[in-house]
Amino acid sequence: MVLADYKYKDVIHRCCRCGYCKFPTDWMDVNSCPAYARFRLESYSCGGRLWLIRAWLDGEIDWTEHLAQIVYSCAACKNCAEKCPLSFSDDIVDMIVAAKSEMVERGSIPSVIKEFLENIQRQGNPYGNARTKRGEWTEGTGIKQYEGQEFLYYVGCVGSYDTRAKETAKTLGEVLLKAGVSFGVLGNDENCDGNEVSKLGEESLFQLLAEENIQKFKDLGVKKIVALSPHSYNAIKNDYPKFDGSFEVFHYTQLLRDLIKGGRLDISGGLDAKVTYHDPCFLGRWNKEYDTPRQVLYAIPRIELVEMERNREGALCCGGGGGNFYTDFLGGSENSPARIRIREACATGSTVVATACPNCLTMLEDAVKAESLEERLKVRDISEIVAEACLAKKG
Amino acid sequence: MHTVVAIKQVPDTSEAVDVVEIDTSGKDIKKEALVPKINDWDEYALEEAVQWKQKLGGTVTAVTVGPSEWDDILRRALAMGADMAIRIDEDAAAMDCYTVAKILTALISRLPYNLIMFGAQSEDFGSGQLGCMVAEMLGIPHATLVVSLHVGEGEVRVSRELEGGGLELYTLRLPALLTIQTGINRPRYVSFASIKKAREKELKVTSLSELGLSNEALTPMVRLEKLELTPTGKKAELISGSAEESATKLAMILKDSGVI
Amino acid sequence: MAEILVVAEHRKQSLADVSLEMLTKGRHLADQVSAELLAVVIGKDVNRYGPRLAQWADKVLAVKNDQLEDSQAEPYQKTLAPIIKERKPKLVLIGHSSFGMDLAPALAVDVGAPLATDCTNIAIDNGTITVTRAIYNGKVNALYSFAPSETLIVTGRPGEFLVEEGQKGGSIEEIEYLLDEEFDYKRFEGYIEPEVSEVDITKAEVLIAVGRGIKDKGNIELAEELASALGGVLACSRPVVDYGWLPSGHQVGLSGKTVKPKLYLALGISGAFQHMVGLRGSNMIVAINKDAKAPIFADADYGIVDDILKVIPILTQRINDLKS
Repeated sequence: MVLADYKYKDVIHRCCRCGYCKFPTDWMDVNSCPAYARFRLESYSCGGRLWLIRAWLDGEIDWTEHLAQIVYSCAACKNCAEKCPLSFSDDIVDMIVAAKSEMVERGSIPSVIKEFLENIQRQGNPYGNARTKRGEWTEGTGIKQYEGQEFLYYVGCVGSYDTRAKETAKTLGEVLLKAGVSFGVLGNDENCDGNEVSKLGEESLFQLLAEENIQKFKDLGVKKIVALSPHSYNAIKNDYPKFDGSFEVFHYTQLLRDLIKGGRLDISGGLDAKVTYHDPCFLGRWNKEYDTPRQVLYAIPRIELVEMERNREGALCCGGGGGNFYTDFLGGSENSPARIRIREACATGSTVVATACPNCLTMLEDAVKAESLEERLKVRDISEIVAEACLAKKG
Repeated sequence: MHTVVAIKQVPDTSEAVDVVEIDTSGKDIKKEALVPKINDWDEYALEEAVQWKQKLGGTVTAVTVGPSEWDDILRRALAMGADMAIRIDEDAAAMDCYTVAKILTALISRLPYNLIMFGAQSEDFGSGQLGCMVAEMLGIPHATLVVSLHVGEGEVRVSRELEGGGLELYTLRLPALLTIQTGINRPRYVSFASIKKAREKELKVTSLSELGLSNEALTPMVRLEKLELTPTGKKAELISGSAEESATKLAMILKDSGVI
Repeated sequence: MAEILVVAEHRKQSLADVSLEMLTKGRHLADQVSAELLAVVIGKDVNRYGPRLAQWADKVLAVKNDQLEDSQAEPYQKTLAPIIKERKPKLVLIGHSSFGMDLAPALAVDVGAPLATDCTNIAIDNGTITVTRAIYNGKVNALYSFAPSETLIVTGRPGEFLVEEGQKGGSIEEIEYLLDEEFDYKRFEGYIEPEVSEVDITKAEVLIAVGRGIKDKGNIELAEELASALGGVLACSRPVVDYGWLPSGHQVGLSGKTVKPKLYLALGISGAFQHMVGLRGSNMIVAINKDAKAPIFADADYGIVDDILKVIPILTQRINDLKS
């Protein structure tokens, strides 16, 4: 393909590499693009990437695995979109996704991305674990299969298979049971939501997943969906309507807030902890949901809620978006975004860093270990903090 | 140049898939829980054939012996760049290699070919017999376990893998049959869109009778009698705990053993 | 008297280990059913192998062929086929090596004999031969039987049958066998020797071996840091070489090197037999793998079931702590 066929051919050349895409909210440094923070090379920033993409599409440089890795190291965190001063700022992440799409269509993608996508084609999850083990995490809980309950609890791949995230999926399910919410899960019938597939540029596979999921939801009479993962929430809420799939979609923190407000969850047990909240990109920048998770934490008695230097629109990504929680292109260094983020959390003097995303949870928890900060800082999903506040009451 | 690539479908029993069980007959595994895929080795063979077609022109034909569900892997082959696909509609699951080789030979001998490629072995049964047998039945030279090849005028130069990392070099007169080892290339990603697009390409279905073969001619020489799950060894002393704890314990073990 | 025939493979003046393994197995089977064990070796310089083969064989057929330096499939097939057709051995044993894979299927078609390859066991019960094979990525063992036939051909998995030195001292018959055929349709052009890497993994005392579980080339750095903390050398399994993450000189296993370190630390390696066969001589094997059912845990001394990407950095740190 030549540049002329590229969807954003009329705008890509307008990036003048002003460098704003790397900035934090206070414009005091150039450290807020996770890939740039990791590598400190211009080509890993959004602007640098766009220039490389243009050179590749113009035939000035050849495709190499290295070029593909640079393009795929974008965590789709949207920090750049927040900061870009130009008129096409809303499109800059899509400009990178479109380049990934081009690589997907040519079949030339990094081997680990190939594995990720093939695993989803085959087994419906990036790990390549068996489809028939997807619902295993519900064993020994009272969580039921969806059969017309009020809510479909959609768990996502990470919550269904990752050892740590499975605990969170379970904990949230138990909290919902305790609150008397009418809900069910799809278990082994759940399939990948496709959010990462779409951000990795495999648009046709995403469409297939979306259409199959929508059909399944419709057949089961699903009206309301509560998602564990902001990634699933994003895909179902913002992308599924394009395929005629309109559901009432909630991120679980929104449901918890309502349950607490409505007095259906007794969290008066509280928690003695200084807590800082890490904004997941797909809840924050992608869906502008900054307040609800904070409201849930604020409602829990005795929690002292403090903010990290970078928060809300300016929050540093954990580096797990755009499939990077699996491919780990940004890992393996003290400059890995998750480790930078954990040092930032530690600087607040908090004992708990809370988040509301299974991807962030696993990324940050690994970073705490890599930083040897286990004694000082715990990583908790908000559902787990709420569960603890409920338990504390009992005891 | 005309290249024929023989491929097969296998159940995904890779590392991450932990659901292999024997069915009640004791002669097969429970397939319902397993997801089908193209045999790993065959993907390398297809990629190699398509890359040579891009260099030299000609055609690539993908062939298989299997039921209609196996059309999926043929469409995949077409999406990778094969020009035509042919399926011999017969369930090969219970056949031995010799029988499948006979069927494929009957088909391939009716096709134009300069080069034939097979995967060096299959992920499911791993016999590594088929390609070499077909070459013998067709009366053409073969080389197995090929890790690099170069097609020249009327001949193909290959290197084949030996034990210990060395290679053996041969020049084969065309037409020839090669069985392809993994690592020879980097098979391309096959997007879902390209599979859909490949539906426009020709996928022929033929039968044993059309190939002039009768069922009687296909009596097996080797028969599977019984399956058993491999007993899982329990030798390793497992170090438990979080990543932190287990790493710390392991470091101590290494220290005590004098490695550190 | 019934015969069992073992095809002896040799390259660069030495017999293949797998041929000795087949001779040992062949000897046991021959003793069990009172058959004679016949070893066939073909090549320019065959008399050098005769006495060694006669340790197991009742009779060695040393076929002298001046055109053939080392074992190659076509000359072997053309020589063996008439011998098999004439002598009708009950069983022909060949190693499932690169040579065996190139030879056995064509030979089986040539002589019309049933063939089972890559067998992990061969048994004779009441005159009936059955074989066992490991299938579905080693997760299942399969038992096979054969249609009635004068001769069966079986290839045995390397490393599966242990070599016991034989005491037979059989006879050696040297025969001149001039092939009338020139193998101009498949010309041997020489060897490419294994890549020499800066570090020789066969001599290293500590090997840090990475497998597919390392996921990406970039993560090799993590393993390198661990290797330098342990004063060890990086090794790997086949997929890592296939993906181009490490040069082939680092590969352990059937198509790589055979190693015998004091410590073999396997990171994200499942433990397929093709890999394990290369590290049998290790003093201590430690495996870290996410999959609790990975076959490597059956061979390892210590195991951690966890994600290597999580464990490696911590382990590196702890080791550095212990050293300081």
